[in-house]
Amino acid sequence: MNPERWQRLLDDATAISGVRGAIVVSAEDGLVVHEAAVEGLETSDVAALASVVVRRAESIATASGDSQVRLCTLTAENGTVIAAQGEHGLWLVAVTEPDVELGRLRLMLGVLAPALG
Amino acid sequence: MRVLEPWLAEPLGELVRESSARLALVMTSSGQVVGQHGFTRSLDVMAAAALGAGILATTGELARLVGSSSDFGAVVHHGAQQGVWLAGFDTPRGRWVALVVFGRNSTVGLVRMFFQRFAASVREVAPVPVPDREVLAEGFERELDASLRALFGGG
Repeated sequence: MNPERWQRLLDDATAISGVRGAIVVSAEDGLVVHEAAVEGLETSDVAALASVVVRRAESIATASGDSQVRLCTLTAENGTVIAAQGEHGLWLVAVTEPDVELGRLRLMLGVLAPALG
Repeated sequence: MRVLEPWLAEPLGELVRESSARLALVMTSSGQVVGQHGFTRSLDVMAAAALGAGILATTGELARLVGSSSDFGAVVHHGAQQGVWLAGFDTPRGRWVALVVFGRNSTVGLVRMFFQRFAASVREVAPVPVPDREVLAEGFERELDASLRALFGGG
């Protein structure tokens, strides 16, 4: 685990137009591990709530016979939250504006998240 | 859930509900219980309150020893099946302490978040403190009984 590498990964994620911030979250305890976020984003709240969503999604996946959740996407009126699974219980979470390039971001998070470990 | 004063019920209920807490205890920094959720025996509440207040006092002293300008914000004990969140917060009635026990369906981050909202809510809705009344021996036992009935029910 390397905070410098995390910072580079988060910089890559936040470089995409429309991304308000990106956070490395520990799903086990819902805490921020590392963050690169713009002003005005309550990263600790995002981490706490994102961890609940991820854990619920994992429960659903387990119940439906699919044991792994790789990516969770929550789309709301004012933006999107995407969480991508990394190693060691870490998740890469991005919070975006509504007009983000969602396809590109999903693809990028899917590539970046496994490098968190 | 039992509370000593009705205005505490809503914030405490929200904390318990939103953080999926198993047990919750709100007390003054001296260990006097003002609200609780999930405890069924008064002895358990009194022991938890005394231990919680003691732990927070101990860590506060530890913070002082290591040169911290204020006490630690919160103390978290994380077990395999459940965790304990213990934190002090300022209210118009003085410094209070919250103890939250949570299981694997919750997280430290979630409890932390809703604890912060709870503390802000208590600060907002807590009535202005009234001047201390003189405690008279003949009224003390009656008031203590009334407090225990409010917290645990029964006659």
